[in-house]
Formats: sequence, structure tokens, C-alpha cells
Amino acid sequence: MRALVIDDSRAMRRIVGTILTDFGYEVREAGDGRQALDVLEEGWTPDLCCIDWNMPVMDGLQFVFAVRATPAYRQVTLMMVTTESETGQIVKALAAGAHEYLIKPFTADALRDKLALLGLLPEEVTA
Amino acid sequence: MTTAQHAQPISLLLDPATVQSIADEVWPSLVGDGEAFVPVPVAPPAEVVSAWVDIVGPWTGSVVLTCSPATARALTENVLMTRPPAVVDDEDVADALGELANVLGGNIKSVLPGESRLGLPRVGTAPPRGRLDDVCALAGQWRGDFLTITVQGTAPHPSGTEVPQ
Repeated sequence: MRALVIDDSRAMRRIVGTILTDFGYEVREAGDGRQALDVLEEGWTPDLCCIDWNMPVMDGLQFVFAVRATPAYRQVTLMMVTTESETGQIVKALAAGAHEYLIKPFTADALRDKLALLGLLPEEVTA
Repeated sequence: MTTAQHAQPISLLLDPATVQSIADEVWPSLVGDGEAFVPVPVAPPAEVVSAWVDIVGPWTGSVVLTCSPATARALTENVLMTRPPAVVDDEDVADALGELANVLGGNIKSVLPGESRLGLPRVGTAPPRGRLDDVCALAGQWRGDFLTITVQGTAPHPSGTEVPQ
């Protein structure tokens, strides 16, 4: 399975990317929503996007809107991974088309639980 | 109208125990298993570096993380899980310290009343503090080294008006 980790922090991209790689994902990274759209437009379609909210150039919510406006990306699962933890923000992201929401700070187990909920945890990890 | 001058000071909205409880979640998750921000103050170093994020809303100010450059580098090595001979550069330090401030700031924003916006992290010399009562500071240490988390109101602009955000 493929995951695109979108965060302006290299540290956070590395943390999320390492966990997903351990789960067996092929991982690519993008530093903002625009870079992430560039990856999708290359034809590299992920199963999962982990999306930070506050980023320069194009923020996470704008990215979610852009992806949901493109029928070709309909099968991509979108998960916000962000410090934005107010109910209003969560509702806004889910209404825009995000499937799940993970609040920073999080543990590897919390990410694993979210992936299991989404049916995106590889069998070898579930076993 | 809610401005930095008219809003309730942070000392009425947040206490150091809440900041500590947020740090208790952030440290093991970002810095590493078993790591902790210990709220026991130690003497400040001669040179410090800060990372901060701004919060703009009913309360406006910054969440500032301050430590010595050496501690910032050690924190970065932990966050990035680097092991010798790998070394971290200044960009890594700015990124990792900024992300720590970002996660602390985002969680602090969530316990403040009303809807607020969080800025992008910045690193350098901490912004000036505002009113004396508009500060919630938690002095402590990580692995015995000086570290503080300060939630501080925006300093009034010299002309007496707020600095545009």
C-alpha cells in the first residue's frame, strides 16, 4: 500500500513516514498541499494521505477540497494529522471530505488504530 | 471588541498545571518513549534559542519554547531519531524545535475559549512579552538542562495599537 505524508515539518514527516514504513507502506512525502497535488498529478496515487492542517502555500483543508473535487482521486483515503483539535475544526475537515482525524501528539498505536478503522492496516500487521 | 489589550489575560485562562499536562503528552510522543519535561527549574544558560507559534483569537499571543542551543540540538536528535555518526544541521534544529512548539501551541490553543487561529512555527529570539499578568510560564528541564514553555500575550505596539497579524 502507498501513503503520502503531507506536512511542512520534516521531523513530523519522518515520524509519520517511519511508522507507516514499519507497517509495510511505500511512503512519499510532500511539504505542503501544492507539492502533494504535484505528486498525485504525476500519477503516483496513494491509498492514504496523512495531512497536516497548517502549512504554507496550500494548507491541509485546501488540499482536501482539491482532492475531493477531482473524481480521479475518489479512492484516496484522507486522514488529517494535526494539532487542530477543536470540534469545529474536525467537523470542517470531515465535511470537506476527510475520512479520519488524528490529533498530534499521537502514538504509533493510535495511528495503527486509525488505519485499522479505515481498513488500511496491512494483513501482516493485523495478524 | 477583543484585542490583546481588552481580552482576559492568559493567567486567568490557563494554569501551569495544564501546560505541564500537555507537555506530558507531547514529550513521549515526539521526543521519545520515557522522555519527559520535568517542571523543576534550573539555572538558565548564557545563550538561548526559542521556537514559537502565535495564537490569534479572543486571546492573542505566543507559545514559546526556550532552551540552550545545545539542548535544541539534543532535542532534535531525539525527535529525528538520529544516531551517530549522523548529525543534525541548523535546518533540522529549526524544524524539530518549531514542530515541538507547534504541537504544544496547538494543544494550548484547544483549551483556550473561543475560536483561534494558529500561526506557523518560527525560530529565533523570542518575541517580546506583553502585560506582566498576561504570561503563563512553566520553567523546567529536560535531561537536567534548562527549558521553559511560556504562553505570553502580544506586546502592545509602541504606538499603542496592536501589531497587525
